Amino acid sequence: MSNKEPGLISLEYKNVRAGKELDTTWTYKKFQENFRVVIVRCENYEMEFDLIGIHPFLANAFRRIMISDVPTMAIEKVHIYNNTSVMQDEILAHRLGLVPLKADPGLFEFKESETSEATAQDTLQFELKMKCSKNKENKDSSRHDDIYKNHHVLSKHIKWMPIGNQAELHKEENIRPIHDDISLLKMRPGHEIDLQMFAVKGTGRDHAKFSPVATAFYRLLPDIKLTRTVEGEQAERLQKCFSPGVIALRKSEGKCVAVVNDSRYDMCSRNVFKHDDLKDSVVMGRIEDHFIFTIESVGNLKSHQIFKEAINILKKKCKTLLDEIDISN
Amino acid sequence: MPVSQLADVGDNNEECKTFVFEQEGHTLGNALRCIISNYKDVEFCGYTVPHPSEDKMHFRIQMCKGGTAIDALKRGLKDLILVCEHTEKQFDEEFLSFSAKNGLNL
Amino acid sequence: MSEGGKESKTPMVYICGECHNENEIRPRDPIRCRECGYRIMYKKRTKRLIVFDAR
Repeated sequence: MSNKEPGLISLEYKNVRAGKELDTTWTYKKFQENFRVVIVRCENYEMEFDLIGIHPFLANAFRRIMISDVPTMAIEKVHIYNNTSVMQDEILAHRLGLVPLKADPGLFEFKESETSEATAQDTLQFELKMKCSKNKENKDSSRHDDIYKNHHVLSKHIKWMPIGNQAELHKEENIRPIHDDISLLKMRPGHEIDLQMFAVKGTGRDHAKFSPVATAFYRLLPDIKLTRTVEGEQAERLQKCFSPGVIALRKSEGKCVAVVNDSRYDMCSRNVFKHDDLKDSVVMGRIEDHFIFTIESVGNLKSHQIFKEAINILKKKCKTLLDEIDISN
Repeated sequence: MPVSQLADVGDNNEECKTFVFEQEGHTLGNALRCIISNYKDVEFCGYTVPHPSEDKMHFRIQMCKGGTAIDALKRGLKDLILVCEHTEKQFDEEFLSFSAKNGLNL
Repeated sequence: MSEGGKESKTPMVYICGECHNENEIRPRDPIRCRECGYRIMYKKRTKRLIVFDAR
């Protein structure tokens, strides 16, 4: 994948900068010339892509924004009318807050203030009403599913209650918990819950429940080079020192020779350095301006939308600041 | 939304200034610092979040003779906007070609 | 709240700890479930709405 020299080389105990220094000076022109994006994998809610020729400060800014500044909807207030289950009200409320909601945050506004009246533009209302009872039909069974009715409260039991004209604006299948099978609470006969939930738009910097990503992280592309031929039993040992698929064994003249197959998914474990006879055979490095991003979405937004949203948020930040400066001068 | 103000720094010197960004932190602070400290006419540029429980960031710029700090800050913000636009453009292009190649309908 | 003598005549509803049956019990009545005879009774939860922050 990369024909560049690695920027960092790992020796036994420390990282050493490779002969050529990373160009730490930054200009927009240089960035424009060198920057490239390569998408490697893109499923709806998980994607992996490379940002090449970018400086760490930008990679980090995008990562931080994806985690804490891209907004989503999440349950914020819980009105409890009745709860006779064994779970305390505040614990139940906290659990409900963490349920990821499938609702496009782009269609809603931030609430003006915490105390302002809920409107159709900024709030979603949900209801959860359940009562557990004995199931008289299956007395002999010992399975909970047979002897109790409604004893397991799941996220699919959360029901959307449209406010104002929301029923016309949104489809019911788009406003609900993303997963149907999140266990919220278990009840026994006589237990009852009756509560209403209010979801608002928020960002991860306020509370992690608003974060659109499970993880968004980057790592540098590893670069592994063999400095001499390694064969036979040594080659097999060398292969085991790296992640699967990194080192391949090739047959040549009846001997097994180790070659670097694909260093991309190596976890850079440094296990080779345990073997005195192998540690001089390999140079492990990392390309300093090749960032491999992985974005795992919670499910409210697709991964590529989250990244694009992050770019736009950074841009908007700069624009509002520029306006502020112009006004104050 | 974020407000930028001038913090109190003794003399009224246009070359050296500390700006206060409310509701900003390392995300913008470090990105902007890296850009601005690469300008040839900037002598020093640094940022700090004075206290983690206060949601603000201090941003210090010291210019070489003749420059103004506010000008460097504006240039930095404009460059960062350009970077965002370029990144978005590149990402969109790659995303289009990737979804065409893989028959994705996203 | 206090309505003097009137209050003592109105029955109070208690829930059986064993069979969850709702029992009306007056002052000086035996504390005992009418359904199953269990002697541990619980008061009902308030009907008032309580608001919690989901965090």
